[in-house]
Amino acid sequence: RAAGPLDDPGFAKVITCAACHGANGNSGSDMMPIISGLDPAYFKRQIENYAAGKRPSPEMEPYAKEVQFLGADQIAAYFAAQKRVPTPIRVSAEAAARGKTIAAQCVVCHGPDGKGEAARLIPGLAGQPPGYLAQQMALFKGDTRDPGDPLLAAKKALMKIIPDGQFADLAAYYSSLR
Amino acid sequence: AGTMTGDIAPKSGRRVVVIGGGWGGSTAARYIRIADPTIEVVLLEPNREFVSCPFSNLVLSGQRSIESLTLSYGGLRARGVKIIHELATAIEPDTKRVRIGEGYLAYDRLVVSPGVDFQWEQVEGLAAARDTVLHAWKAGPQTVQLAAQIQSMPDGGVFVLTVPRVAYRCPPGPYERICQVAWYLKGNKPKSKVIVLDANPNIVSKTGLFRAAWRAYPNIDYRASQKVVAVDTSTREVRTEFDRVKYDVLNLIPPQRAGAIAVQADLVGADKRWCEVDHVTYESVKQKNIHVIGDATIGLPVPKSGNVANNMGKAAALSIVSLLNGQAVPLMPPGNTCYSWVSDREAIAVVNAYKIENGKVVQIEQKLTPAQSVSVAQRAEGWRQSIWADMLS
Ligand SMILES: Cc1cc2nc3c(=O)[nH]c(=O)nc-3n(C[C@H](O)[C@H](O)[C@H](O)COP(=O)(O)OP(=O)(O)OC[C@H]3O[C@@H](n4cnc5c(N)ncnc54)[C@H](O)[C@@H]3O)c2cc1C
Ligand code: HEC
Ligand code: HEC
Repeated sequence: RAAGPLDDPGFAKVITCAACHGANGNSGSDMMPIISGLDPAYFKRQIENYAAGKRPSPEMEPYAKEVQFLGADQIAAYFAAQKRVPTPIRVSAEAAARGKTIAAQCVVCHGPDGKGEAARLIPGLAGQPPGYLAQQMALFKGDTRDPGDPLLAAKKALMKIIPDGQFADLAAYYSSLR
Repeated sequence: AGTMTGDIAPKSGRRVVVIGGGWGGSTAARYIRIADPTIEVVLLEPNREFVSCPFSNLVLSGQRSIESLTLSYGGLRARGVKIIHELATAIEPDTKRVRIGEGYLAYDRLVVSPGVDFQWEQVEGLAAARDTVLHAWKAGPQTVQLAAQIQSMPDGGVFVLTVPRVAYRCPPGPYERICQVAWYLKGNKPKSKVIVLDANPNIVSKTGLFRAAWRAYPNIDYRASQKVVAVDTSTREVRTEFDRVKYDVLNLIPPQRAGAIAVQADLVGADKRWCEVDHVTYESVKQKNIHVIGDATIGLPVPKSGNVANNMGKAAALSIVSLLNGQAVPLMPPGNTCYSWVSDREAIAVVNAYKIENGKVVQIEQKLTPAQSVSVAQRAEGWRQSIWADMLS
């Protein structure tokens, strides 16, 4: 028998995720986030928030509970170890250029190249699908993603002053980063 | 067919034969090759191309073409799956062979994912009329024919859809179809109506969400607890236990059971309809070395959905690889998400997560979308893309 993916015990625990997040977490669609290469602590925080209903998602609340049942540490480690493939969705160069000029406000947390900062639980935005990024910005602005969470107060205060019309440009910019 | 005799492809190493290249079988074939490419996989599937039932209700409203739901088996071939476009005609568990007419194929383990077949005899007059009374419950030519019948129905014509009693393939499927046909008629044939004769006492799945969606469709006349017992194509009439209903276009979804090969091979239980399996490995409780997955199964607290068939395909594949390699079988609970389109742009969903406790699948939670929305429909598109690739790429 050759070495295979079953040698990693995480592999058999994530079979249900591919229906939405794609092979090894590399979603190719616009609204499903890429979950490969996510920092394990950030990953587990999202799983906890979904399971508790703090980050409301009809899809993820049940699956987050499944992850907790099967072992969140192992599943977070599995996805952290998967090579991240940027979204295949192409954005318009004009939108990305417009987004770049607004994104200066985000750099302090998400970094100059959109890679985030794991130590502060700040996720990378580079290469995520644009539809997903824009939608999450709207959710932060409306305070429906983790309402009232003190860790996100500064971020949400910033989001509130960004006009909705700029979300698509910001999303295009971050999605286009590699 | 008929040209094959004797041992069609003599077995040298370890081999898994998969019967049925639908949602369950394609996934199983693909994941065996991913997990251990030293195992030979032979897939038997009469159809040259894969046609997706999910999203096929959108063909009836003209939102999608059948071509957009038709996929190639090329991706599986590229992974080394050997595909034979033939029907398995019998299974011989004692000699571990699958018969294909005069020929046979030997296996070490067998995956059976034949989907459903129809119980024509349950409705008087249906067996004789089965070429003209459409089910469109296996996506393909019937889907296209039903769309054409709806399009050519005169304004003022009556479309009758009948829902069988549970258990049947895709619990929300008939109600999504009702939305799609009602949406189309509302815009194109405003004097027409949809009469629903449901053998069940209420909408089977996502009840409140469908009820809310139907408020936009006053052309739906929903009648619960109306089991169809007879059809007469000469008078264009269906009969329920209590009533007679005239139709211009009829979509009769017949009662169902596991695909014929499962019945023939005695994989079904006492009801002669569905196959009971081990909840961890999907091995048949009746026949060793035969794993049954997808709509043909019963006994797990899961719906008969493509998403479940896909997850069962993975669990069966990884179980088989583990067993053939003498390793412990991991616990792999299934999962389900069913998106339903309620108009041309909005959808709803139900999500189920499961765990395995004491060897049995148990539901952790079921969750519904709070309301219909465009963003749910966008996520449905994401699901479609990812899960198609998970079966066939
Ligand atoms: C209108 C409609 C909408 C639906 N929408 C959804 C949805 O949105 N989401 C969802 O998750 N599910 C949906 N479903 C349900 C989904 O299609 C089924 O649950 C799924 O196809 C089951 O997979 P399966 O492998 O058991 O059967 P199938 O996918 O039907 O595959 C069975 C295959 O076996 C082959 N076969 C049968 N007998 C033999 C034999 N003797 N030898 C060789 N091959 C054989 C057949 O040709 C077929 O290709 C829908 C179904 C319908 C009808
Ligand atoms: C039916 C679809 C579906 C399935 C199956 C699914 N997810 Fe998700 N997942 C989503 C959606 C949609 C989102 C974004 C939800 C939101 O708006 O917060 C998401 C978000 C996530 C996130 C947050 C990503 C981020 O960047 O913040 C993680 C982590 C995640 N999913 C992990 C998983 C794991 C692990 C599994 C399998 C055990 C899984 N998901 C199965 C649909 C799904
Ligand atoms: C003060 C710090 C901070 C600033 C400034 C900030 N963010 Fe964030 N951002 C975060 C944190 C922390 C998270 C993760 C939230 C969580 O854990 O739920 C996040 C998450 C996100 C996400 C979701 C990513 C995912 O995978 O789900 C998006 C999109 C995003 N930020 C966009 C932006 C944009 C665009 C800007 C600038 C306009 C910005 N952020 C500015 C801290 C910040």
